[in-house]
Amino acid sequence: MEEGKAEFEESEIEYVSYGGEHHLPLIMNLVDQELSEPYSIFTYRYFVYLWPHLSFLAFHKGKCVGTVVCKMGDHRHTFRGYIAMLVVLSPYRGRCIATELVTRSIKVMMESGCEEVTLEAEVTNKGALALYGRLGFIRAKRLFRYYLNGVDAFRLKLLFPRPDPNYSESGIPTGVEAQGLGDGIPAEENLLL
Amino acid sequence: MDPKMDSGIVSTYYSVEEAIDNGAAPVPLSFDRTIDIQRVIDIMDHLLACEATWHRGGSLAQTVFSCIYLLRPDRTSSHVLMHSFCRVIRTTCNALVQAVSDARTNEEEDLFIMAYGLPLKVDGDEKCLSILHAVEETLSRQLKACKAPLSKRRVVEDVEPLQTSLEFEEGFCRAVLCRLRFRKVGGGGIEECGGGKMVRFLTFGKLLCAQHFYHVLTCMRRPQGKGLELAKKHIQSCLSELDSMLKSEEFLRHTCACGTLEDGIEDKTTASGCQPIGFDSTLNSRSAAPTPPRAIKLLSWKKAVNYFQKLLHDLEIICSYSLDPILEDALRFVVDFQKFQPDLVARAYVQLLLVQDGKLYGREPLFAVICKAALLHEGAKNHDVQKNETVTQLGQLLISLLRLLCTNTAWQRRKLGKILQDWRIIYVQLELAFRKEFGDITSTSIDQNVCLKICKHILIWVEEQTYWIALRFLVLGFELELYSTSEYCMVYWYIYVILIKLAEKTHLKMMLSNDSGRRKSKKKRDYVKDMGKDYQIPPAVSLLQCYIYVAEGLMMMLASLRNENKMFLCLGPFNSEQERFMQHFELLQKACLPDHASYFSFRETISNARFSTLSMYNCFKDAQRIAKELRGNFANDPDRMAELRRIEQVAEHNSVALNLLCQLGNIEPSLKFSFEFIHHPHFAVAAVKRS
Repeated sequence: MEEGKAEFEESEIEYVSYGGEHHLPLIMNLVDQELSEPYSIFTYRYFVYLWPHLSFLAFHKGKCVGTVVCKMGDHRHTFRGYIAMLVVLSPYRGRCIATELVTRSIKVMMESGCEEVTLEAEVTNKGALALYGRLGFIRAKRLFRYYLNGVDAFRLKLLFPRPDPNYSESGIPTGVEAQGLGDGIPAEENLLL
Repeated sequence: MDPKMDSGIVSTYYSVEEAIDNGAAPVPLSFDRTIDIQRVIDIMDHLLACEATWHRGGSLAQTVFSCIYLLRPDRTSSHVLMHSFCRVIRTTCNALVQAVSDARTNEEEDLFIMAYGLPLKVDGDEKCLSILHAVEETLSRQLKACKAPLSKRRVVEDVEPLQTSLEFEEGFCRAVLCRLRFRKVGGGGIEECGGGKMVRFLTFGKLLCAQHFYHVLTCMRRPQGKGLELAKKHIQSCLSELDSMLKSEEFLRHTCACGTLEDGIEDKTTASGCQPIGFDSTLNSRSAAPTPPRAIKLLSWKKAVNYFQKLLHDLEIICSYSLDPILEDALRFVVDFQKFQPDLVARAYVQLLLVQDGKLYGREPLFAVICKAALLHEGAKNHDVQKNETVTQLGQLLISLLRLLCTNTAWQRRKLGKILQDWRIIYVQLELAFRKEFGDITSTSIDQNVCLKICKHILIWVEEQTYWIALRFLVLGFELELYSTSEYCMVYWYIYVILIKLAEKTHLKMMLSNDSGRRKSKKKRDYVKDMGKDYQIPPAVSLLQCYIYVAEGLMMMLASLRNENKMFLCLGPFNSEQERFMQHFELLQKACLPDHASYFSFRETISNARFSTLSMYNCFKDAQRIAKELRGNFANDPDRMAELRRIEQVAEHNSVALNLLCQLGNIEPSLKFSFEFIHHPHFAVAAVKRS
């Protein structure tokens, strides 16, 4: 086993939608532990009270190991989903838990009529950038010193296809296939060119 | 309580007065004169760290003005050294706030200029030049006295030493002197240096009248870049004082009063490694001064010195600029300058130099600049068409563009995308305005011809400039890491189509200008003969052609990898490549840049790409050939020569890669392809690795 990694089967992870006040401390603990930005309890309440169906938690044997917190609403004439926080405990990373959490939220947003989904991620957070890239997000903007710690952010955006059947020439795959989402460490590489 | 958000709540003292009453900032700093001077040096160093942190995005209130001595200017009056140093700091901060406010480059970093409630301007600060000189003179004497051999000591024995330990006197004198000299301030402005007052300073200790940081700042703000040469000299002096400061580190550590040096010396904000007295970063959180809801980490003293070295080098680049009246060169200068990733202060100064009083460098009226850029004859700049409202608006648009190019590249790219629309609109407006103008002011046929020519040239230039902006928008995406490898194919396709239009407009503009030039100088018969005979593509257009080949080569190579090997495909569960295309190029599409460019035209271009066809026609070889041919044309321009070299390397590398790919046929799964920017910031080279 890799050092610091939890041993578990993926089927042991249970995903639940935000179920009420008893979930709030679990979410707050995870976010405070893992994200650099400070949030007050009002911020958390704002999200989970208004959009409880967009927040999910991942449990392993009763322990909360990951969470996603989102919202949606009008933004400059666009109905837009927003992923505010996505956290998975370090030992549980690389096993598609974050992908599963965020996919659940995005699906609800899509079904609710969102035209696009956005979020910000630190430019240094390679894991998150790769994850969202696989889901179809583009890096739309770079935000100079966006975070209080002085790090730049990328504004990531996922545009949903328009419902017009003539609009897209290629079929849109449905459902998430966890393609290449593992964190396999590449074997030693030999440069040929 | 959240420790990440505590700085608004937790503070050691309720007020500055309470801090002072508690002895947080004593005057003198110690009754032991050696400790006193050590503490002063620590404060000087810590202030340098504060200042650098402020420049890099911290708030003034949490950094420089966390110094209690600065917050209560009167208290230091009995301590001449501290008093004069505090004045210098305030005056320098004030000059910088002024410069950044004037430049309005502050973008998201609007914290920089927020100084409400802070004593940034204190009566008497403007006189600090004379006080500082007096302090420096005394220090120079003290240094001289301690260095003099015993026999000569009598001559200078009236000089009281800086502190009490004789063995350390020279070290302390030197440490304080370089810190003061770095700071030295020209109260009334640099004007004093140009005139008679300079003599007074020159007689004093052979010190130049102004050799320090504040002087750099004031010189650079002289109108029309007239102080740049002098500023360059001051920059050199500043750099040498910074070197002396670095050299003083060992001595200060050695004599450090704080006893043992613990770990983490690299993080220390002073050369000595001691914690300075008289600072509290939480003090202002209760006052009106704006403080973000979070404590900040100061840069270390070493990093602060490095920051100032970088800043001074950036300012030196600005000072070495020739103030070329040709717009294209000015644009290239500022684009190249941005490659050094200058911070806010340097960017503010480059903007202040470029745009002054609504003119380029404060001396070239915008219409004249546009006429020159549009390759119009000298007389055109005086034509009445410049009074037209839309033409004036075009001038404003150009000023906005120049300003924008000085902002941080992240912000710049977003704004460039937005102003593309404005440039498209002004083109249409100009067309209409010129038509109207043409009817109104042209009574004679000569007038008509002149006016028609000006309008034609300007319209083509507007188109060319618009494509230039579009290209800058696209390539900045690479510098900002906005594209993923699977998107490179569409990005290079877009760069390719924009480059074609840019080359077309540039060429057209040049042909128009040659055309009228030749018409003037030659008889009609000769002119017609010449047209077919010795026409050569201008080097500027050839260079664009070279880029076109590289972009095309990359696009086709990526397309073949996609088509034949299913690599670098944009797959995702929620959308397709089309949505990625629409998002990345939304602003270009909105502005119809170019007309008819769409996702479908991209797909059409790449759908048949195969390595078998690419092997017959290798664009990279053409790019290499042009780059080689162009060397002679740019021999006098080292920057362009370097660019040619880079583009040649990209072409050469990719040409080999393409050949290899063509030979490989089916690519084994163990081979991993990637695209890297090892030779050029915008044009990638293919790398194949075996995993």
